[in-house]
Amino acid sequence: MIEVKNFTKKYGDFTAVDDLSLSIGTGEIFGFIGPNGAGKSTTIRFLATLLRPTSGEGRICGHSVVQDPMAVRRVIGFMPDDFGVYDGMKVWEFLDFFAVAYEIPRVQRKQIIGKVLELLDLTKKRDDYVNGLSKGMKQRLCLAKTLVHDPPVLILDEPASGLDPRARLEMKALLTTLGEMDKTILVSSHILSELADFCTMIGIIERGKMLASGTINEIQRKIQSHRVLKIDIAGEDLDSAAQLLRSNPHVRSVERFDQTLTCEFSGEDSDKSRLLGALIAQGVPVSSFAEQELSLEEVFMMITNGVVS
Amino acid sequence: MLFRDNPVLARELLVNLRANRSFWLQFLYVLGLGTLVFMAWPNSESGGNQISSGAAQSLFDLFFFGQFFLVALVTPAFAAGSISGEKERKTYELLLASPLKPSTILVGKLLSSLTYLILLIISTLPLMILCFLLGGILLSEIVRAYLILILAAGTFGLISVACSSYFRRTSSALVVSYLVILPIALACVAMARTRDAQLRDFVSIAVLPPWCLAIWSLVVVLVGHRLLHPPDVGSEGKEVVDEEEEMKHAIGVVIDRDLFPDKLFAPAKRTDLMPDGTNPVLDKELRSEIFSQGTLMLRLVIQVSMFLSIPLMAVQLFFRPDWAGYYMAYVILFNMLVGPVFSSGSITLERERKTLSLLLTTLLQPGQIVLAKLLAALRVSTALTFLLTEQMLLAYVLVEELRGRFWTLLVFLAILVVTCLMTTSVGLLCSALSRRTSTAMVLTYLSLLVLFAAPVAGGQFLANFTGTTEDQLTALQITSPFAAAFSVPLPQHTEALSYQVEVKTQAVPIIPGTGLPLWAGYLIFNPLLALILFGLTYLCFRWRWWRAAEAV
Ligand SMILES: Nc1ncnc2c1ncn2[C@@H]1O[C@H](COP(=O)(O)OP(=O)(O)O)[C@@H](O)[C@H]1O
Ligand SMILES: [Mg+2]
Repeated sequence: MIEVKNFTKKYGDFTAVDDLSLSIGTGEIFGFIGPNGAGKSTTIRFLATLLRPTSGEGRICGHSVVQDPMAVRRVIGFMPDDFGVYDGMKVWEFLDFFAVAYEIPRVQRKQIIGKVLELLDLTKKRDDYVNGLSKGMKQRLCLAKTLVHDPPVLILDEPASGLDPRARLEMKALLTTLGEMDKTILVSSHILSELADFCTMIGIIERGKMLASGTINEIQRKIQSHRVLKIDIAGEDLDSAAQLLRSNPHVRSVERFDQTLTCEFSGEDSDKSRLLGALIAQGVPVSSFAEQELSLEEVFMMITNGVVS
Repeated sequence: MLFRDNPVLARELLVNLRANRSFWLQFLYVLGLGTLVFMAWPNSESGGNQISSGAAQSLFDLFFFGQFFLVALVTPAFAAGSISGEKERKTYELLLASPLKPSTILVGKLLSSLTYLILLIISTLPLMILCFLLGGILLSEIVRAYLILILAAGTFGLISVACSSYFRRTSSALVVSYLVILPIALACVAMARTRDAQLRDFVSIAVLPPWCLAIWSLVVVLVGHRLLHPPDVGSEGKEVVDEEEEMKHAIGVVIDRDLFPDKLFAPAKRTDLMPDGTNPVLDKELRSEIFSQGTLMLRLVIQVSMFLSIPLMAVQLFFRPDWAGYYMAYVILFNMLVGPVFSSGSITLERERKTLSLLLTTLLQPGQIVLAKLLAALRVSTALTFLLTEQMLLAYVLVEELRGRFWTLLVFLAILVVTCLMTTSVGLLCSALSRRTSTAMVLTYLSLLVLFAAPVAGGQFLANFTGTTEDQLTALQITSPFAAAFSVPLPQHTEALSYQVEVKTQAVPIIPGTGLPLWAGYLIFNPLLALILFGLTYLCFRWRWWRAAEAV
């Protein structure tokens, strides 16, 4: 559905996005994650036909983003990260404006506007001036705008940024609903946990490079090769236990703190049990053997710190 | 702190003067003026190295008035964005929250916007001295001229900075600065042109300095107060304005959307969905608040101009019907100032408001967008300008001499329509070329000056100093509605009108090679020019913004 091949964007000497490729299938919800300035918006604007690439190409529903922008615009709903609204326009007028701009016939427009307002819980605000809406309402209005022509693909740049926690939750619920409507969604954020719950795929970008991308499971598996084991030893002889650990091919490093050995481990589950077996067989008094659970944020930090490549 | 170690001044100077182009601009400026002097230099055959004092005087006048107008036009361009620019960049609150004193900020802003201009002016001093060596001018006159130029730069700069602190948008500040400064400048020029040397001396020594001082202190106090207790921080100017409410309170400027003629420029708001096939951009623009980028002040200024037109009309149309051309010039000037307000923000405002990326990802074609912008701006500008023509209609009905030449009214109106088209087209093109509305606006005013006023003013110079013939001059003036308006033949007024009923007709300038009178040439040539400008705007918009734009 969405395909980017070797997209590079340079501003002068500065490379904002470097040779980025990604592929998103129909119905997927792709979470595009990276710290500020990583190049998310640049990639997204390129996909929304608003940016000329230095090199590379992009396709949405088979239409080239550069060669055939009109066809692409027809199938995408785009929400920029930073947008404004017109002065002196009411909410329904704003939606009508875009509905006309998307060439929707009048007979359908009334119904569509009603439905979209309903979906985004804006029905009560129908007759309010758009520039008087709160930030959260504006974000929702913009989302409503992206839906008026019922596009199969939604491209949303940080839809939840700048919102209070409650509005954030509501936005999350909305995106989940949209995902259930079988739309292909590309949504960006600099907060991983915001997306992890409902995304089917995740791509992590930093300094213009895609560090990791794939389904949640694939990413998790990648993470799994970088597990952290915590082993508590009951006896005094930690050195020989550490020695034993180091000799295992899956163990990268071992650190010792008090009665605990912490080691980085890159094996499968079976390797893990074999390691435990070896420790017991050597008579090491293991009192606890556990894998440290990494939160999504820690994973994100690990990846963006270059721990995982 | 005011001058030394003023961080505002230091930062802005650094940014301004670091640019290479400021050096080149200065070079070109001196080069251009030098060429003028060279052209006007007496050739040795006709009279040695002394020129007649008349020629020296007119060269001096050219320098002085040329630079005076440069100051009047360029100062707002530099200074009107000084504080509103901080608001637009959202650094205003940072600046105010710093421990800088309002006076430091004000002086920093003023000096940094003026330094370059003053450098430009001073760099022409050697040329002026050269003219002095030719004789015919007093040294004291030169000194006075430069003092007045610098005084004017300071005063105009302060007025612009004051506007800048009062408005949220640079474009509003710019227009209002121009509307305030240009009348002052014109009055000054009128004063300086008087033959009465004593009056001139009196004014320049006893009247100007105290007035300037008064303006300076007033502005410093008011702006200082505004910077210390800013009433305009916080909501970023985004508070909801209920237009209907506001219009009720805008005394004297009540716009009633349901009544003629207001319907022309502010059609009723929609109560239902647009019909199929509507150009949504056009519909939105037509129905949006017409002064959305301006403010009460701008409305007031427009209203005042319209009010002024009544006595002007009374004098020029009823007492001296042959001066109808001057009344037309007033109306054209009005359009020249007000027209760009509505067109030069057309495209840049979409960027500044951050709605361009929304607009560009719809199915709207670039032609649709550009055409809608043109028509909407044209409509407002034409409707406002034609409000000033009511008086002309009246005069043509009441004054007998004019009634006899009714067709000239049609010519005048046609000239106005074409002028509106030109101001709007130029504004739109500049808007497509620029990144910011204020840049677009300055660019528009400068282009209009070159098209409209320069042929008339420059013609005078060319005729005096070079061998340009009358015919060539006429051909040069084809883009100027002022020249066109004055070329319409009107019954000549003779001193002894009461008993000597003699209706002469002035000679009409003919465009060489065509046999067309100048006004007809204007009416034919400029719509074509507008069409070309529109085509350029379309291409520019298409390539710059619509087709995968850069950094919307
Ligand atoms: N028009 C531009 N000119 C120069 N640099 C730019 C431009 N737009 C973006 N950048 C740079 O490109 C990088 C990526 O920006 P962006 O894609 O907006 O990041 P984000 O991931 O936060 O959305 C940033 O370092 C930014 O400074
Ligand atoms: Mg971004």
